[in-house]
Order: sequence, then C-alpha cells, then structure tokens
Amino acid sequence: MSEVIVVTSGKGGVGKSTTTANLGVGLAMRGQKVVLIDTDTGLRNLDLLLGLENRIMYDLVDVIEGRVEIRKALVRHKKFENLQLLPTSQVKDKSAVNPADLMALCDELRKEYDYVIIDCPAGIEQGFQTAIAGADTAIVVTMPEVSAVRDADKIIGELGRSEKDNIKLIINRIRPAMVDSGEMMDMDDINDILAIKCIGQVPDDIKVVTSANRGEPVVGDNDSQAGKAYANIVGRIMGEDIPFMEFEKEGFFAKLKKAFGM
Amino acid sequence: MSRDLVTIKGGKDGFRLLVDSSASMEEIEAEIKKKLEENPGFFPEGTKFELEVADLDRSVKKGIDQLLSKHGFGVDKSPKADNHTADNIRGIKKTGQPEQTTVQEMMVLNRTIRGGEEVTSQSSILICGNVNPGAHVIAGGSIDIRGKCRGMVHAGAWGDTNAVIIADRLMPSQIRIANMIARSPDSMEQSDFAERAYIKDGQIVIEPIER
Ligand SMILES: Nc1ncnc2c1ncn2[C@@H]1O[C@H](COP(=O)(O)OP(=O)(O)O)[C@@H](O)[C@H]1O
Ligand SMILES: [Mg+2]
Repeated sequence: MSEVIVVTSGKGGVGKSTTTANLGVGLAMRGQKVVLIDTDTGLRNLDLLLGLENRIMYDLVDVIEGRVEIRKALVRHKKFENLQLLPTSQVKDKSAVNPADLMALCDELRKEYDYVIIDCPAGIEQGFQTAIAGADTAIVVTMPEVSAVRDADKIIGELGRSEKDNIKLIINRIRPAMVDSGEMMDMDDINDILAIKCIGQVPDDIKVVTSANRGEPVVGDNDSQAGKAYANIVGRIMGEDIPFMEFEKEGFFAKLKKAFGM
Repeated sequence: MSRDLVTIKGGKDGFRLLVDSSASMEEIEAEIKKKLEENPGFFPEGTKFELEVADLDRSVKKGIDQLLSKHGFGVDKSPKADNHTADNIRGIKKTGQPEQTTVQEMMVLNRTIRGGEEVTSQSSILICGNVNPGAHVIAGGSIDIRGKCRGMVHAGAWGDTNAVIIADRLMPSQIRIANMIARSPDSMEQSDFAERAYIKDGQIVIEPIER
C-alpha cells in the first residue's frame, strides 16, 4: 500500500524541504521505494539538499505539460537508487500546475512507489492547494514559536476544509535549554493548541545545515540528535511505535566533552 | 445616554432592524451607519434586514432601504409579519433594551476552532473543543466552550447584555459582551478553573464557576 504525503507548514523557513529530504533519504535507507516531488516552484531547493542539482534535465512543469515522460524527468539519488526526485522549475510559471494535474501524477507514481512525498510551498494560495490535492496524509511542520504555531493552526484548518483529515505534526528546531527556561513554547503547549498527532520532535542542530550544504541529509547520522530524530520519524511513518527521545542539553558537561572531542 | 433609536437583532430567520418611529430620518441614518461601522465585516455582504416598522413613514422606509443597499445590504421585502409587531418596538422603548429574543436555538460544534476561522450564529453557541488564538466566535446569545478559549469571543453581539461566556479555561485575547470589550492582560495568568464572564453594573466581570 503506497502513501502520498504532503509536507506543509504555512510559514516559510520552518523546515519543510529539510523534512522532505530527510524523510526521503530515511525511507530509502529502510529499503522503501520513494519519490520526492518539489512543488515549491521558483524556490527550487530540494535538489540542493539532496546534492542532485547538476543532474536535473527536466522538471515537474515539463511532465505536466506533456513534454517528457515522468520516467525521464525523475532524477535518481546517487547513493540510493530506490530514491528519485521530481524537481521543479526555477523559471517557469507556477500556475502551470493545477490540483488535478498533480493528483493524476500522484496516482501514476503510486503504482510504482511505496511513498510519494510532496514538498509544499509556503502560504495557503494556489500552490498549497495544488500540493495537497493528491495527498493521503499531510505532515505539518512547525517550530516552537508563536507565529509558526499560529500558521500551522491555520493550515490545519485549511487542510480540514479540503477534507484532508489525516494530519500529523512535526515540531522542528527545538532548543531544549530555551524550552526549560520558558523562553520557548514547550511541546505540551503546542500539542494542546494544535491537537493533532505529533510524530516528530527535532532539535535545532547545526549538523542539519552542514549536512545540507554537502547534499547529504542528516538522517541516520547517529552523532546528530536531529539525525536520530528524523530516523525515528521514518520509523513512525512505517508504523513503528517509537517513544520520543530526551534531548541532551548543551550543558556544561556536554560542552566540556565537545571541547575534548569526546 | 438615550435609548437606541435603531436596534439590530438576530433572529432565526435573519436580522431584524428595529426602528423607533419617533426618530427622524437623519437620526435613523446616523444610527444605522454607526451600527454598521461598529461591526465592520460582521454582516455578510447581501444580508437582508427585516424591517420592523409599524408606523414608519414611507419615505423613511425608502431612505433606510437606500442606505442599506449603499452598504451592500438590503431590506427583506417579505417580512413574516405576525409576531414582530409594533408591540415589540414599544417594548424596547420602555426598557431601553431589546427584549429576550424568542429564538432559543443553539449552535453546537464538536471540534477545535482554529486561527483564522470565524464562527457566527444568531443563537447561542456551544463548542466542545478549544477556541484557538486568532479564531473569532460571535453569538447573538451566550457562548459556552467546553475546552480552552484563547481566541476572540463576542456574546450578545446584537446587544443582549444578559449574554454570558463560559469556558473550561478562559484565556481569550478579547472578550466582548454586547457592546462592551474586555482585553486580556498583556501577560496572561493561566486560569486553572472554569470561568464565566458577564456584565455586572456596566462592566464585564469574570468569576470562577463549578462544573
Ligand atoms: N532542525 C534544524 N536545525 C537547524 N537548522 C535547521 C533545522 N531545520 C531546518 N533548518 C534550517 O532552516 C532553514 C530553512 O529550512 P527549509 O527546510 O529550507 O525550510 P522551508 O522549506 O520550510 O522553507 C534552512 O537553512 C535549514 O538548513
Ligand atoms: Mg522549502
């Protein structure tokens, strides 16, 4: 049974593309056949996060407009041949793709892949409506920040009105020390407001950025808290019951250990 | 302050516009304008008001019609006359307040009301779920929230000063009852019990309740 998942947020810059890339690689590492679709036209960056920029020949708009077959436009991941990317265009008009087009495309890809994951643009305009059209599941990414949670709340309402009822939450860029000191919203507050099932709590981790720069998502890197958190999310998506981890605090001893390279 | 020359009430069949027949057209016009501007965006475009005018002048009726259509509204030309008669208007004159509406319906919602959402009903509203920040709940009657209220709530929105607001946790950004507004303190203390807000001696007061 294959699943079409849309990764969305409302607010930009909260980690949609990062999440999409990490879930894609993580699921591929677990042997799943995965295709990622970038629908954030004009702000293409999923290819960068996956280190595939120089391999792009065609894009989503070419496929929708019938210039090439899907198969030809898919870019295969260097390391995981069961992971493919359907990139988007940086130059073409974003209104070129409508909800019905994407729905038809998802249904086509469903036949061959275990997971189709769609990276959604920010906002609730047409791009959002298009991105969610073919999805069975929506993953809403938010951050422990009042404005990001507000936007997530709106997006959840919007998804409900579009009859998308299977909605999961990922809270990204958590800083445990700030949560403890009350400077950041805590997980219970966020879950209380958003009231949807939380499948991931990802700490703020510099390794997310450095690994993205190398084009290798951090998932599965056991030296990274975020890497572990993404691997846990992958497991939960595959139906495993994995408890949420306790974050290490950047306390005195942690810093000391780092200083000595421990 | 003198009593209202114009009262807008929510009923089962739509909005009713009650006009004091002793008022002049200028006074009525000013009142209606004020009422509409007090609640911008409150009445959906194209709303038809049922005019309650037992002995209003034809020219005044026409004036009201024109005024409303200027605002994108209209007058319901086929009022269901029977129970809304001149007596109603006299009742208002006496007490200076709209009398209890005959409608005792309640809108019931079993879900979270999320940011950006607006729930409006001319009756009372019962919500089994949270009202989130950025959500608006507007009722002609009272509002009862079986959950946490963090949004904006307006009870008695058409002037019913007897309306109340109840929530398991009352921590809204703003409470309005009839034409009174209470804003939450900038740093909100967490409430640990159910509370009720109502108007007492011309002020919105909040008190804990058992439930
Ligand atoms: N858990 C994290 N820790 C640190 N940085 C992160 C984390 N998640 C995302 N980022 C960074 O935040 C920025 C925005 O992320 P991105 O995935 O592009 O957001 P979106 O696609 O929602 O606009 C990027 O620079 C990314 O590297
Ligand atoms: Mg992005």
